[in-house]
Amino acid sequence: MAANTTQAATTTSWSYGAAADGQVHENPEWEKARQALASINKSQSSAKAAQANRTTGEASQFQPAATDSAAIQQQQQQQQQQYYPWYQQTQQHYPGYTYPYNYYYSMGPPPPVPGMEDQSPSYPSQPQPPPPATPQPPQSPTTSDNPPPPPPPPIPPPPNSQYPPPPSQNAYSANNSMPYPPGDPNQMQVYSHSQGRPNYGQGFQAQNTYQPSQNTSQQQQQPGQYVPGLGRGEANKNKNQKQGQQLWHRMKQAPGAASVKFNIPKRPYQVQCSPISNQTYPPGEQPSGTPSSPASASAAPGGAQTRPQDWPQAMKEYVQRCFTACETEEDKDRTEKVLKEVLQDRLKDGSAYTIDWTREPLPELKVKQSRWEAVPPQRTSDGSISRGGSTAAAASRGRGGGHRLGHYRNIFSQRSPSSSSSRSSSRSPSPSHGRHRDRSNQRHRRSDSGSQSDSSISSDLRPQLSRRSQRGARGRGNDRDRGRGGGERGRGRGGKANRGRRNMEDSNSAGGKKRKGGNAGLDFHDPNREAKKQSRAARFHKQLRSEPLILSINALDLPDGTQEGLSWEDCPIVGTCQDITKSYLRLTCAPDPSTVRPVHVLRKSLLAVKAHWKNHQDYLYACEQMKSIRQDLTVQGVRTEFTVEVYECHARIALEKGDHEEFNQCQTQLKALYKDNPSENIGEFTAYRLLYYIFTKNSGDLTTELVYLTPALRADVCVAHALALRAAWALGNYRRFFKLYQEAPRMASYLIDKFVERERKVALRAMVKTFRPDLPVQYVQSNLGFSCLDSCMAFLTGLGVTFYLSDPQKIDCKTSTAALAAS
Amino acid sequence: MFAVTLDLRIFANNAEQQLQKKSKGQPGEMLEKAAEQLMSCFRVCASDNRAGIEDSKKWGMMFLSNQLFKIYFKINKLHLCKPLIRAIDSSNLKNDYSPAQKVTYKYYVGRKAMFDSDFKPAEEFLSYAFHHCHRSSQKNKRMILIYLLPVKMLLGHMPTHQLLRKYDLMQFADVTKAVSEGNLLLLNEALSKHETFFIRCGIFLILEKLKIITYRNLFKKVYLLLRTHQLPLDAFLAALRMMQLEDVDIDEVQCILANLIYMGHIKGYISHQHQKLVVSKQNPFPPLSTVS
Repeated sequence: MAANTTQAATTTSWSYGAAADGQVHENPEWEKARQALASINKSQSSAKAAQANRTTGEASQFQPAATDSAAIQQQQQQQQQQYYPWYQQTQQHYPGYTYPYNYYYSMGPPPPVPGMEDQSPSYPSQPQPPPPATPQPPQSPTTSDNPPPPPPPPIPPPPNSQYPPPPSQNAYSANNSMPYPPGDPNQMQVYSHSQGRPNYGQGFQAQNTYQPSQNTSQQQQQPGQYVPGLGRGEANKNKNQKQGQQLWHRMKQAPGAASVKFNIPKRPYQVQCSPISNQTYPPGEQPSGTPSSPASASAAPGGAQTRPQDWPQAMKEYVQRCFTACETEEDKDRTEKVLKEVLQDRLKDGSAYTIDWTREPLPELKVKQSRWEAVPPQRTSDGSISRGGSTAAAASRGRGGGHRLGHYRNIFSQRSPSSSSSRSSSRSPSPSHGRHRDRSNQRHRRSDSGSQSDSSISSDLRPQLSRRSQRGARGRGNDRDRGRGGGERGRGRGGKANRGRRNMEDSNSAGGKKRKGGNAGLDFHDPNREAKKQSRAARFHKQLRSEPLILSINALDLPDGTQEGLSWEDCPIVGTCQDITKSYLRLTCAPDPSTVRPVHVLRKSLLAVKAHWKNHQDYLYACEQMKSIRQDLTVQGVRTEFTVEVYECHARIALEKGDHEEFNQCQTQLKALYKDNPSENIGEFTAYRLLYYIFTKNSGDLTTELVYLTPALRADVCVAHALALRAAWALGNYRRFFKLYQEAPRMASYLIDKFVERERKVALRAMVKTFRPDLPVQYVQSNLGFSCLDSCMAFLTGLGVTFYLSDPQKIDCKTSTAALAAS
Repeated sequence: MFAVTLDLRIFANNAEQQLQKKSKGQPGEMLEKAAEQLMSCFRVCASDNRAGIEDSKKWGMMFLSNQLFKIYFKINKLHLCKPLIRAIDSSNLKNDYSPAQKVTYKYYVGRKAMFDSDFKPAEEFLSYAFHHCHRSSQKNKRMILIYLLPVKMLLGHMPTHQLLRKYDLMQFADVTKAVSEGNLLLLNEALSKHETFFIRCGIFLILEKLKIITYRNLFKKVYLLLRTHQLPLDAFLAALRMMQLEDVDIDEVQCILANLIYMGHIKGYISHQHQKLVVSKQNPFPPLSTVS
């Protein structure tokens, strides 16, 4: 990295000198280069013309800027001028730019660029073919806008065609020399410097730019993080793009002079890349986050993902959505505030989140740094601004930066939720204020940046500074535009810049000559931009949709986490509700103590429910009240005798009303409760369980239940009865079965009622088959436990039993057998 | 493919062993999870239709199903065994698995049939398992016998004393004796004496059904004593009283007789009017093995 930075510094120094003066030079150089390119690729000729027009436009712009009398304005203008040329170059040169890019790409590995080593890990991973493709698409949104539609198509083919010849260095040099005016090495160098540096700053030098504003140590950390982030960068497109960018930068740097075109492309790349880089940056979460939402990463890579590092992905995405949703700066500011509050609240409330939150603070610093790094690549000038903003000392700068660049704001805002002071400051200034501040700030920035750059890395910083100044100028003129564009973020930046250019051009349109060409180029760009915007918007919409889903999931996760991860006993809640009655609502979120009744209130509630049940026999009401009591007990983790009592009571009520589900729920709960809270009713409910197994004919569970029956339990009246009943049932001893049925203790008869009909049928079938010639109904009634003759008759007739005509009190067994067998 | 199958087996074994250890802390849960994994393996094996028959994954089906049986029996979810049995039954390799696997498989299928009260097939499966079990694996044979004996007795085949002694299953001795003698008293004593053992083996409820056989044998004795086909119910009542069933009344005697007749153990009918059991003159007490 250091080597890269130094190189960049050197280049920057070059460019710097050139930058101030160089713009004028640039135009002719550009033209030459373009011409050369044109000669190389005929197809691109049209694009070249457009570029030439643009260059003229730039010149025109430059002139108007110069006309401004105010020193500040002049500075701004200078910035603007510089900026513009950059922009134009990048945009216009795209066609040619792509070439170099590809070349570089292929070249990338072979040329032993100093920077290469640092990034080497990322290098191997980069597939050469994919990188060009990936970087191009991102470019296309911003860059493609600028060049008229026709040129873009030609661009892609050339790279491919050139691509095949991998003789990397050779091709590289050849390409560089070829496109650029072979005659003017100096010009070439200048070009490369001015442009190359931005690239550097974006890729590698982002750190350098940082340094001025931030401490060197931070810068160092940042680079380190950066690299790891890249390395971590999984197979995602972002990674590729980043790598591609890095390669670009490296390549450019290494070649130095040749990289002029590269520099131009860099901007668009940076914009695109920056988002990517941001995504990749977050060391911890990037890998997971990127895969989950590739679309989101591509669409709104920059702002949203930068913060999320620390946060759960859901949080990140949520923030992203919020920001993406708001197009204006004001909206962003609002959303930021809201987000902060929400996030903080969540921190306080959500236990599951707390973990993540606790983690956040530490990573936040890194995140900021990484963001900063990421930011610079987006816009070289932005990077410088961001630096200022990032450092608390450069709060003023930060404001300006934030205003100027919607992106920055976004970044800040994203960070802000984590509680970074810098972002708050940056956000707080309203856009209108920002303009004024920007101007003043810009001056400061310039000076600051310049001083910083001098102190840290003189040469590298300069170009950045110039860029910054350029931005500042734009920002002043086009703050609003930028802010709007900020909503779009990464890609939107390019569009914003374009807008800014337009505005600037329009405002500056002193020189009609070049301007026409520039306008034409701009016009061409506009449709593209819109299309891009739409595409972006579409992406965002997609993201938005996906994000809300994620949010909901997250929201659900929280309660789940509390419920699952922390059992009720682990997080005791003491209710404060004093209502004796309470309607039952299934809990869908963490319980609110104010709606939970404490135990002493619940005791009253239970009595009230019992009394109500005795008096009114309103099972729906009783069941609801009992359930709510149970819920409150469960929520409070109360597992005492009272809990047992409640469940026993509810089980009895449910049994009386034949409510299977509630009864079984209570039974299972009671089984667990009895382990800790032995009740005198254990036998009763054990017997119920045995009877229930008989009802379900579950011999397996019956056997296991028998295993656990202690002698003491067997002695219990209810259990003994249940066991006797079971034995009679197993042997088909209906006589004994129904005798026991009539002797059923407590509420066992309610349970036996469930299968008594079944057993009666079986018994009757046996009786009818066995007895000849007749069977008195009286006998059936007594044996099958009918309380009265009428019910027995009803039962018999219901089964189709036939009676003797002569004596209706006797069953005709022979004929009835057939009927019963059929039934 | 064999290697794959082997791996599956080993994996299943390891998983099961590990999970069974853990299951002590969390009974059932881990076993169920293991069963899920095994089930997924089983599905893979069962759905392997493309490979040749000689190296088909289907060869792993029986092993996996056996492992699943072990789990299901342990966690008392016998109903989950049904699809496995059906899958194996429908397999054309059913008879070509290794004897060890087949014995294990038959053992579990027999046990399941027994619990489902399908005693005939249960006896068939368990007998197969018993006869094909390796002669040196006494422990396994004993396990098989534990379930085979009740079924056999229910079907009227009483084990010999030597057999019980050979396999250390003397708990059945008294039961066997009581059933064959129609000695309800002894049966009740024997059952209560070894109740824990029987319950732990899950055969207590099965053995309890032997009471029906015991009734049958007892009443047969009454019939033989009275030597008439019109048997007064009082005689049966007296017999039951003799067995110290003090709370038995005439209605219950009718009930027991009715059940025996209904189940086919006695051929005849009850005349409620005359309070008599009228039995067939020919073979009123058909051999147990012929009764369904």
